[in-house]
Amino acid sequence: MTMEIITRIVYLVAAVFFILGLKNLSSPKTARRGNLFAMLGMLIAVVMTLFDRNIISFEYIIVGLIVGGAIGAVAAKKVQMTSMPQMVALFNGFGGIASTLVAFAELYQAHGDVAVHANLTVSLSLLIGTVTFTGSLIAYAKLQGIMRGAPIVLPLHQILNTLLLIASVVLIVLAIMYPGEYLLWAIIIVGVAAIFGITFVIPIGGADMPVVISLLNSYSGVAAAMTGFVLGNSVLIIAGALVGASGLILTNIMCVAMNRSLANVLFGAVGTDGGATTSGEKETRTVTNYTPVDAAIMMEQAQSVIIVPGYGLAVAQAQHVLQEMAQILMDRGVKVRYAIHPVAGRMPGHMNVLMAEANVSYDLLLEMDAINDDFQDTDVALVIGANDVVNPAARYKKDSPLYGMPILNVDQARTVMIVKRSLGAGFAGEANELFFDDKTMMIFGDAKKVVTDLVKTLKEE
Amino acid sequence: MKIGIPKETVAGETRVALIPSMIAPLTKKGHEVLVESGAGMAASFPDEAYTAAGATIIGTTQSLYDAADIIFKVQPPQADKGEPALIGEGKTFIGYMAPFYNAEMVKTFQQRKITAFSMEFIPRITRAQSMDTLSSMATIAGYKAVLMAANELGKIFPLLMTAAGTITPANVLILGAGVAGLQAIATAKRLGARVSAFDPRPAVREQVESLGATFVEMELPEEDVETKGGYAKAQSDLFLQKEQEAIAARLPKIDAVITTAQIFGKAAPVLITEEMVKKMNPGSVIVDLAAENGGNCQLTEAGKTVVKENVTIIGAVNLPATVPVHASQMYAKNIVNLFNHLYQAEDNALDWEDEITVGACITRDGEITNEMVKDRLSNGGN
Repeated sequence: MTMEIITRIVYLVAAVFFILGLKNLSSPKTARRGNLFAMLGMLIAVVMTLFDRNIISFEYIIVGLIVGGAIGAVAAKKVQMTSMPQMVALFNGFGGIASTLVAFAELYQAHGDVAVHANLTVSLSLLIGTVTFTGSLIAYAKLQGIMRGAPIVLPLHQILNTLLLIASVVLIVLAIMYPGEYLLWAIIIVGVAAIFGITFVIPIGGADMPVVISLLNSYSGVAAAMTGFVLGNSVLIIAGALVGASGLILTNIMCVAMNRSLANVLFGAVGTDGGATTSGEKETRTVTNYTPVDAAIMMEQAQSVIIVPGYGLAVAQAQHVLQEMAQILMDRGVKVRYAIHPVAGRMPGHMNVLMAEANVSYDLLLEMDAINDDFQDTDVALVIGANDVVNPAARYKKDSPLYGMPILNVDQARTVMIVKRSLGAGFAGEANELFFDDKTMMIFGDAKKVVTDLVKTLKEE
Repeated sequence: MKIGIPKETVAGETRVALIPSMIAPLTKKGHEVLVESGAGMAASFPDEAYTAAGATIIGTTQSLYDAADIIFKVQPPQADKGEPALIGEGKTFIGYMAPFYNAEMVKTFQQRKITAFSMEFIPRITRAQSMDTLSSMATIAGYKAVLMAANELGKIFPLLMTAAGTITPANVLILGAGVAGLQAIATAKRLGARVSAFDPRPAVREQVESLGATFVEMELPEEDVETKGGYAKAQSDLFLQKEQEAIAARLPKIDAVITTAQIFGKAAPVLITEEMVKKMNPGSVIVDLAAENGGNCQLTEAGKTVVKENVTIIGAVNLPATVPVHASQMYAKNIVNLFNHLYQAEDNALDWEDEITVGACITRDGEITNEMVKDRLSNGGN
């Protein structure tokens, strides 16, 4: 009795660590600490489980720990930073198959002689665990380049998926109604789920894979939670539910950031094999949406920043807070300068009026010809409320109203940050391809609000 | 090509079409610059500065025109001084032309088959902004107009709370938020005044507010006035009346008014009537930047400063000439940008497909190429 109370308390502690870990993971600044908390929670949970009465043989466990731990450690050590997404996909898949195997073992051990609710959770665990496993393997294959990144759409693909989903539900109902044939049902469920996992992921393009991985991550959590019910293990239920919920939230955040709905990602079959298409129309291009916090982190790592102010800055009256930001960066040794395009704003010298009001030293203001060659050695070009004066179409697009106008070479900077109210075209009505560039971070919003948030983040330390 | 810079002949014109620092960019491209002796003197650029920069000084007007292939000028060639006829047959002219008011000059250009590019007719498109003298000169005019108002006003502009009491800030009203108007807003604001601005275009509210000024609303006329015949006139009369009402409501609280409303090729609209001047505070100031085109104020006299109804009214004419150094610098930059655009081909051939080249050209091969100018000169006769 006391043992059980201790177990529960320790599991509770572990769960608290998980929650703390998740909380800290929400900001890149505290992410390391978050990882540490989660690891600690996991250690506590694993150790406690080892002491639990259900343990049959320590030999198997130790062998499992050593083999699994070694594979995990080596894989994590060897993996390239750029290959992290497929690594995560693979680990998700292992989580899924683990749930399936545990559920299967539990079912086998009990000879199908389990209660209705347990039968339901076992079936769900089998189903979701297997979907996660095969889905993750496909995601891994696409990202690793083993499989083509482009969407693969079978004939009647949506109908097939719907049928598989219906079949899964029917099978679970049958498994509950006729528990005698438990082994048969389990095998069929696993089979259907395996196919569903594949058909679910193949029509999604490589560029959208991170969203899918996040979703599969959520599934593996749900599968683990189901397994927790099967085993009657509370910490597994909690951890699984946490993963399930946070994965879903993350999926949603990623979809919002890409300006797409989840349905569009999953069923749109429009994601390409990574990067922008050359033949794509403007409407189908998507931009990556960042927050002021992302921008602040980027700024902190920069050694040189060039600020390109435009009319949007004047409208938002953000010159004072912008100068405050520049001052913070300069105090930290970052080289900050302002690049003033001759036609920025709506009247000659518009930017000078603003900068003078914010007491920006004249030395920091550089005209286009003086600074244009410096962009290539600059870490961050921060464009605030400007558009036409940085539009690369002015260089080559002969039918553009901007053609022939000299522009600021912000596209040569290592990272381009653009603060803008919307994706709309500038005064001259020409769309700006720079917004869709891979190294461009779009931060949508009123310039004053965005820069204020940026300053706030920079000040937190 | 040989580029000739004659001395300006119009009274009060202090600017020069090219300043010494803009010579090197031209000579580097293989052009030659000829400057009439004393051309830059009024703008504080002596002959020696031009020589040092690589130009050749020419002693007389006639020999300058004879030697040059292309003339850069500020003011239109004056027909009464025989200037248009100085330009040799088939040569090129770039400068202000005011063709609607200089029919004689246009005729001479036609007869002599001169290729003439007018600074006023450069299309106002984004990539031509670096050539836009209307903008650059309006910038200077807007700035200077505020200083003139401040100078005439018996008050100071900023708010001061002192032991000798509190000095309230001057209230400045800017009529028309174009380039000159916006620059006037910025300048008045920097001097510490409380600035409001009026413009019939609701779209410019944002621009006015971006400079920290208050936008004065106007009630737009009802639509049903437009249905009857001859509605354009009726509408514009009503429109003007509504504008005057909106301005009149403000005027009693205003210390200085800068008016900048101009309509291209037409007389300036009257925004301040005599009645409205009467309602203004004694000692207030009006600077009328539209004086040359009839004025935005009914009582304006072009080129003069008059006091009527206890209000000082400055009929500002050619304000850029009062700031000759920077006005010449901006003008020279504009004209060189245009020149470089026109003659970007290796063989200096003009590209008659180009929007800017075609737009700015007034006469060529004995024809008036600009439709607007052709219509005005054949209909009006003047």
